[in-house]
Amino acid sequence: MGDRRWRRALPPVFAIAGVLLIWQALCAAFDIPVWLLPDPWSIALYMAEEAVLLFGHVAFTLGLALRGMLLGVAAGVICAFLFHLLPAVRAAFSPLLVASQNIPLIALGPLLMIWFGVGILPKLILLVLVCFFPVAWSMLAGLGQSEPQLREYLAMIGASRLQTFLRLELPASLPYFFAGLKLTATYSFLTAMVAEWLGSGRGIGYFLVLQYKGFKTTGVFASIFCIVACSLVLYGLALLAESWVLSRLRMGGSRSKGGGRA
Amino acid sequence: MTGHADRTERAKRMEHEDQTEQPDTAERMGETGGGAWLLETVAVSKRYARDGRPLHVLDRVSLGVREREFVSVVGPSGSGKSTLFRLIGGVERPDEGMIRIAGRDVTGKRGLISYMPQQPSLFPWLTVRQNIASALVIAGIDRKRAAGLASEWLERIGLGDTAGAYPDELSGGMKQRVSFLRALLMPRDVMCLDEPFGALDALTRTRMQAWLLEQWEAHRRTVLLVTHSIEEAILLSDRIYVLGGAPTTVRREIPVPLPRPRRPDVWNDPAFGRLREEILALLGRSGGRDD
Repeated sequence: MGDRRWRRALPPVFAIAGVLLIWQALCAAFDIPVWLLPDPWSIALYMAEEAVLLFGHVAFTLGLALRGMLLGVAAGVICAFLFHLLPAVRAAFSPLLVASQNIPLIALGPLLMIWFGVGILPKLILLVLVCFFPVAWSMLAGLGQSEPQLREYLAMIGASRLQTFLRLELPASLPYFFAGLKLTATYSFLTAMVAEWLGSGRGIGYFLVLQYKGFKTTGVFASIFCIVACSLVLYGLALLAESWVLSRLRMGGSRSKGGGRA
Repeated sequence: MTGHADRTERAKRMEHEDQTEQPDTAERMGETGGGAWLLETVAVSKRYARDGRPLHVLDRVSLGVREREFVSVVGPSGSGKSTLFRLIGGVERPDEGMIRIAGRDVTGKRGLISYMPQQPSLFPWLTVRQNIASALVIAGIDRKRAAGLASEWLERIGLGDTAGAYPDELSGGMKQRVSFLRALLMPRDVMCLDEPFGALDALTRTRMQAWLLEQWEAHRRTVLLVTHSIEEAILLSDRIYVLGGAPTTVRREIPVPLPRPRRPDVWNDPAFGRLREEILALLGRSGGRDD
């Protein structure tokens, strides 16, 4: 098992190493100036030198992203429950909800700043708005997807609405919940970074702006690496949570949703 | 499979029941009309609208089950047998007629019967024990006692090893045993079995019929079984209602004059063959799809 896993990880590792090598070679061959396109080695050196500074900014943004994600996911789950249990609420509010996802962040950000100042609140609101939707929407789909035979069985033995919800619909919606969580995890760090543009003195988003305004291209690239790495880590954590929970519930992860083994 | 020790224990119990049950059995076989019904459908009719056209499924279906009696409903596929169960379970309401349990009108009331569906309908994220306990908790038994009952009875029917297993680790026959036990343990007066072996292969099905016979002889619960297998109905039942026609009506009510306790090889009995012929004729042969 473990052996196969390592073998599967090899091709992408080689691909990434290849891209970095070609990049390094091109920078050297054409003598590209650092302010135009820094080579990977210089970026790595810069990151090593400024590790403490970068870490401080990343930690701040990560904290913001995690808090926003937690609130957003909670809001998404509550929203899914409400919509599922109260069809009238669903009918009334679902168009509004979809519309809310089409408001451009660039327009919303300044508005939130005007209303709520430059503190943590407008940033968290922005994050919640972005994070809750994937969870709410996919979990709502999942709550309506439970096995008809099990539903019929529960009806025949006289299970109440709440019992059907807790014993069937809720567990059956978990694979969908995690699908939403993974999407949210991908977006949350990026959104936290954008939120920092709404007036912040800290965070990797703030640092990034500082760097490109000073034409410090190496710093820009270092920020990009940090951002990508953090997004991947958050996604990886969501993936781990998913496989841990779903394997405990015999749902076989993303591998075999619904389809049982023979 | 039932363990050896269990088998001898059951044999003893059956011997005991043999003596005490005899007059009751004789009385049951002798009398088909009247008596106190535990479960009764009174002139139940049901119509649906399908593709805009009215579809009359059940037409004044009246049948009843007495306490500790095994009654089967036989009819061709698509004769509204499952609809009948949905009405009895209270999931749907009949257009006319009513459902009575112990003489009380319970039309449209849910949670009064125990139910074993055609598909095992076990929750894949619960172990075998949890599956049984969960249903018992829904039926109002407290959590601790439900888990205890599940473990104790799994042991008793020789499935003790599977208590901690998940449904996807069990064979089709084992799943149906678990499903049956779950229905058996529900604290309800009537067990409704809806084609419980319909999805199994022929060999497993034959084994499961013998197993169910054995279980019923041991526990004597009140059972209403819906099936399209005539042999299954004769093997297991005290009485058989033959359904047919469109809309479905009760064609005839047939007592099964085979003695109890019954053995799985009862089909050697000439009475078995005569009964089979009679029911086949009623179903018009074409309708009596059987495996």
